[in-house]
Amino acid sequence: MKILVPIKQVVTLDEDFEFTPDNRDVDHDFHIYDLNEWDDYSLEEALLIKESNDSPIEIIVCTVGNEYADESLRKCLAKGADRAIRVWSNELKNTDSIGIARIIAHIARREEPQLILTGVQSSDFAHSTTGVATAGILGWPYAAVVNRFEPDHDFTKASILRELEGGLEEAMNIDLPAVITIQVGINKPRYASLRGIKQAQSIPIEEATPDSLGMIDSEIGESGSASIIKKMFIPEKLSTAIIIEGTPAQQASKLAKIINDFKGV
Amino acid sequence: MHPIVTASGTFNPEQITRVVFQDFSPSTIRFFYVIGYLAIGLFLWNSFIEIRKYMRGKKNGSFKISCLVAGVKYMFSVLLTHRTLRRRDTLTGWMHAMIFFGFSVLLAGTSIITLQYDITAPLFGFKFWYGYFYLWFLLLMNIAGSAFITGLLYMMYRRNWLKPPKLDYTRPDREPNEYDRSSYRHEDWVFLWVMVTIGITGFLLAATRIIWLHDDPTVWGLRWWQPISTVIAYTLMHLGVNSNLAHILRNDLWWFHGLLALTFIALIPRTKAKHILTSAISLIFKDPMAAQRLPRSNPDEVSIGYSEITDFTWKHLLNLDACTKCGRCHEACPARATGAPLSPRDVILSLREFANRTMESQTLPNKAELSVHGKAVDQVFMETLWSCRTCMACVEICPVAIEHVPIIVQMRRKLVEDGDMDPILQKTLQTIHKSGNSFGESKRKRASWVKKLPFEIKDARNEDVDVAWFVGDYASFDPRNQKVTQSFARILKLLNIDFGLFFEGESNAGNDVRRVGEEGLYELLAENNIEMLRKSHFKRIITTDPHSYNTIRNEYPDFGGKFEIEHYTSYLARIIGWNQLTPTRKLNYTVTFHDPCHLGRFNKNYEAPREIIRALGLNLVEMERTRDNSFCCGAGGGRIWIPDVVGMEKPSQNRIREAAKIKDLEIFVVCCPKDLVMFEDAIKTSGHEGHFVVKELIELIAEAIELPTLETAVS
Repeated sequence: MKILVPIKQVVTLDEDFEFTPDNRDVDHDFHIYDLNEWDDYSLEEALLIKESNDSPIEIIVCTVGNEYADESLRKCLAKGADRAIRVWSNELKNTDSIGIARIIAHIARREEPQLILTGVQSSDFAHSTTGVATAGILGWPYAAVVNRFEPDHDFTKASILRELEGGLEEAMNIDLPAVITIQVGINKPRYASLRGIKQAQSIPIEEATPDSLGMIDSEIGESGSASIIKKMFIPEKLSTAIIIEGTPAQQASKLAKIINDFKGV
Repeated sequence: MHPIVTASGTFNPEQITRVVFQDFSPSTIRFFYVIGYLAIGLFLWNSFIEIRKYMRGKKNGSFKISCLVAGVKYMFSVLLTHRTLRRRDTLTGWMHAMIFFGFSVLLAGTSIITLQYDITAPLFGFKFWYGYFYLWFLLLMNIAGSAFITGLLYMMYRRNWLKPPKLDYTRPDREPNEYDRSSYRHEDWVFLWVMVTIGITGFLLAATRIIWLHDDPTVWGLRWWQPISTVIAYTLMHLGVNSNLAHILRNDLWWFHGLLALTFIALIPRTKAKHILTSAISLIFKDPMAAQRLPRSNPDEVSIGYSEITDFTWKHLLNLDACTKCGRCHEACPARATGAPLSPRDVILSLREFANRTMESQTLPNKAELSVHGKAVDQVFMETLWSCRTCMACVEICPVAIEHVPIIVQMRRKLVEDGDMDPILQKTLQTIHKSGNSFGESKRKRASWVKKLPFEIKDARNEDVDVAWFVGDYASFDPRNQKVTQSFARILKLLNIDFGLFFEGESNAGNDVRRVGEEGLYELLAENNIEMLRKSHFKRIITTDPHSYNTIRNEYPDFGGKFEIEHYTSYLARIIGWNQLTPTRKLNYTVTFHDPCHLGRFNKNYEAPREIIRALGLNLVEMERTRDNSFCCGAGGGRIWIPDVVGMEKPSQNRIREAAKIKDLEIFVVCCPKDLVMFEDAIKTSGHEGHFVVKELIELIAEAIELPTLETAVS
């Protein structure tokens, strides 16, 4: 049996960064890469399922990205994933989350996993759509924002808890195969020691392309996407915070003045 | 042969000896030999069991045959001077010396008799144990016996009346009902009583022989060659012991003394007495770099660190048996002193119990039963291992060269591999991996502190400099330390020193990452830094950070990075008094100085900071625990990244409390960025704010040379 864990190598930024000349992305020189936090949890969940099952389970991690993304895949392999697939070609540059979901769906058709575990969202773009879109394309059931996952013994059903707003939880059963998007906090992700990551260097990463997955042109890149990024910019400051200093009496009079100014008195 | 002339007559030297087995029947002599061989056989068998146990460990990577001669020399120098045994417990050390030398001479004496009686006389007809040699032998044996017994009696007095807390075997890592150490106490006392009894019966044997053979002029006439025995003989005679009674007594005592001594010998390898052998061998194989350079991991091994007892090197297994439970490490440990569940002594003793339980039998139990990590009474808790500050106080004071910290770090490597660590520490390690520093700041910001300086600093990566400054994480990113770092840069500038930085080329030096047990990350950091340092252009490196200093100096060479590096204190101590660095203002503060572990204990730099303190005219008052006994601030071994248990005293607070005892103390001087952070925090949380302040030595130098403040300097 297989579990597919699609992961994302996200970008974090420093305070100082610059945009690309076309203003559609942050200059890649300022990218700091890391494995998406949510994916740490979905991989951990897959590993826990594997470890608590007697029958053999293969965990396949996959991602869409250039060779920089290998680092995140290696981290997953170091933690115990069995196989890694990285899909890339230059046509994929401006692919949005729907386009990514199409690629994952193709991988799923090829690998036929019983379960797809993804993170709820990525920390950089926060669309929260890749997982559920994959389910839509595959025509599988899905559950989003799951914070407990318990498959039955023959992996045909699972009982799950979903985290709702206001501290509520929703319990439901879901038929497998399904796509589950995992919420942070569902488990305690393990540590990938550097030694483990180094040892994972010897595990080959399968490099696939949209072609090798059998995708047709209308599914690839911008054609397969539902959106394109027109512009990226830093929003203008709408309000400013000031710290009122001085003795309590001085602070009170300054505060009164601000309120009066605001009211237009 | 010259006759021996004395007041009581003239003797043929060959007559002056002791007839061995005098009046014994051949069958009793045979019986004694059977017992004797049996004892030797048991000794060898027991030794075999122990040696087999050590052989079940891994090979000792750091050891080279060429070190053996130096090791043996070192062992003899320690044993003959007893210098490691006298530290922080002088009287006990001297008393142990009396037992040691007494025992050695008595053992050698008995062996000499055997040598003649069983070897040289029957094989070659060669005898030497007579005449003056015999007489001096008697005198020496009397002196040795007295020393032996005196030392033992003192140890009894110490255990029973002085009762030092370090000998009560209380374990900080277990509740009192979870373990039973009464067997340790029983063994201690049996050991003392057996030895003192062997000693006393030895004297009684000599005394009863003097009475029994008082008609023999070679005995009676020369009795004062064994003065103590003679005094005892007179006392016994006074109590009514005559020649016949003495003969009977002597016969019984002889068997008692002999059998007791032989039993003792047979059991040496399996009892407390084994330290006679194990401690000496441990000293031979002492790794002189044990404190400052941790062992490398074997890249070919599938697993890392110590998980099972069979992962230990044979040397570390021997270390476990070398422990004499003296309690010096227990006393010195800052974690133990502040109530953490760690005593280096108990780690060693638990592991020793574990090794004995699992590895002394014919076959090894299965793998699952060999794990040293766990909750059983002879296993080690994760919490215990994470309590260690790797300050090396234990390794440094151990009189028999036990490597507590390398053992603990090896065990931590296994914990790290399994992810058994504090979540915050885990996060920090990931941060260091990602950004190359523990602050999670971008590499570009590493040298952002230079922006405020009114001058440019060279980039040692592409410009020639005399001195390259490896700044380290805390001095680069911590806002309080940045001020010190800026001052140091300005002092270097003032001195017209041609210096440069590595800017974003620098990564965390890895010292503390290695001590956490994340060896893979350490290797990555070390290799990155070494590659960067190799490509740079400098004559020597200086740093204000003792942690970076230690690992670059002592550990980078193992990875092919040999660089000359100096801590700023020794660098400035050499040039203080030169041109611009002459103090222009005398500072009259009463100060105390805290030796950073990595500068002092690790690298033995105790003097340079003190020289500077004196040169500045400060009134230095030392704390109780100073120099090699300096008390760790609690930040080492990655503990700066692990939150301390709430409600428990921190080592830094304990230290501040110690400093506060100094009358009129004004400044607590440090020379380590982590110390500055730890103690400034501790001074606030321990309620001493306003009483005295913590300052970096650099700040005092700046004050003494009247370096203008940065704001004034810029404007």
